[in-house]
Amino acid sequence: MQLFKKYIKVITMCDEHGALTPIYIIWNNGSKYKIDKILEVRKAASKVGGCGILYRCRIGKSERSIFYEINRWFIESTNP
Amino acid sequence: MIQHEMRTILHIDINHCYAQIEEMLTPPLRDVPMAVGGDESQRHGIILAKNMKAKPFKIVTGEPIRNALKKCPDLHIVQADMKKYTYYTSKVKEIYHEYSDRVEDFGLDEAWVDVTDSLRIYGSGMQIAQEIQRRVYHEYGLTVSIGVSFNKVFAKLGSDYKKPSGLTEITQENFKTFAWQLPVSYLLMVGHATTKKLHDLHIYTIGDLACASTTLLKQKFGKMGLLIWSYANGMEASEVTLETFTTPPKSIGNSWTTPKDITNANEARIVLERLSNSVACRLREKEFMAKVITLSVRDTNLHRFTHQRKIPVAIDTCSEILQIAMQLLAESYDFVLPIRSIGVHASQLTKTNMYYQLNFFEDTVAKAKNRKIEIVVEDIRKKYGFYSVNSASSLVDRAFSSVDPKGNHTIHPVGFLKGNS
Repeated sequence: MQLFKKYIKVITMCDEHGALTPIYIIWNNGSKYKIDKILEVRKAASKVGGCGILYRCRIGKSERSIFYEINRWFIESTNP
Repeated sequence: MIQHEMRTILHIDINHCYAQIEEMLTPPLRDVPMAVGGDESQRHGIILAKNMKAKPFKIVTGEPIRNALKKCPDLHIVQADMKKYTYYTSKVKEIYHEYSDRVEDFGLDEAWVDVTDSLRIYGSGMQIAQEIQRRVYHEYGLTVSIGVSFNKVFAKLGSDYKKPSGLTEITQENFKTFAWQLPVSYLLMVGHATTKKLHDLHIYTIGDLACASTTLLKQKFGKMGLLIWSYANGMEASEVTLETFTTPPKSIGNSWTTPKDITNANEARIVLERLSNSVACRLREKEFMAKVITLSVRDTNLHRFTHQRKIPVAIDTCSEILQIAMQLLAESYDFVLPIRSIGVHASQLTKTNMYYQLNFFEDTVAKAKNRKIEIVVEDIRKKYGFYSVNSASSLVDRAFSSVDPKGNHTIHPVGFLKGNS
């Protein structure tokens, strides 16, 4: 499956130690999706270009990889 | 002192660094011939790095972009973004720091790591090298070549031996069979000119150099002859410096290739004001004062010359540096040809000392006041941005004043010996 790099808005929680936890992702058209579970957090390079802290998440029934790259978020999107 | 026989040193090199970072950020660039270049509109149009696809076209780092495009018309040129490269290379180096506190940078993309004391925790030198290689690839999508050896020179030789993603070990047992077969030009500190002179002496490989007569080498190359002979014999024993160690600077300077040619002294003054200001700020930041000011000029025929002056009392203010630079320019240049690039350098640095010999013939109070004003201007610039305060002269021609030499990120070339030869 071809993936695309898409920068997105993310609502995050920052804990008292500075660690970020993404809670919602907001798509360009404004639709909001809740991140149900974070499956894995690690530093990684992305297949769609760029690198950062990878949060492998479950959103509804699908699994998605979102990256915190320097100071913004992108998703490995299935839609261009 | 660590016994050099027992040391394990890695030399890690990020392969074609700038180009690889661009490829990592934009993967389709991997499939086309691509090179990272300076800004042509600012006349900084040279090739800084190229990718694997551009190699068959014999594109050379440092050549003008126009020449490269003649060799390969489809070459994709990516504008260099030093901020990005500094960020990612520093992130990669954070990985090295996890394995040792002895990490010595050699430019932006290379570093030596002394892992001697980490062997008991992380395994052999080769195991650590493999792990670093794997981690850099998975975490940052970049490939690195690593040389593992018992001294810095052979570690570098090892990392240069195979690219990309090379992993080469040069041990005390194999260096005579392995390193000695390699061309002498592969050795650190043996450049084009030395290679040519060595060839004249029928020294073609590192082995030839190792077995050459030291008397002959000393006669031909002086101290350097003995130094490269000891490198070839694996006797290099300098330590990888601690991460907190920084070599004190020997000189501080800035130069700039202006967006258009400088045709008279007034235009030169605007540029020199900018450069002198940057040099003065950097001197004060590092708490140094300079006793020698050097002006360097390159004309439109690319002919370069320098002119310098020693001054009796060390200085660190823009106005004084500018005054000397302008004098040097008036004495040495008549603007028959316009100037393409110009630079100001301060050397013979001494630590800032507020007690110094006063001069009967200068207004010391005004001098001290002027220094205070410069410090205040610098403080304002730090707080509100470089262009928040400007001299009126900078408004005459913005092409010549549109630069912040201090704020612009500058990559300083590093010498292996750092003046300690």
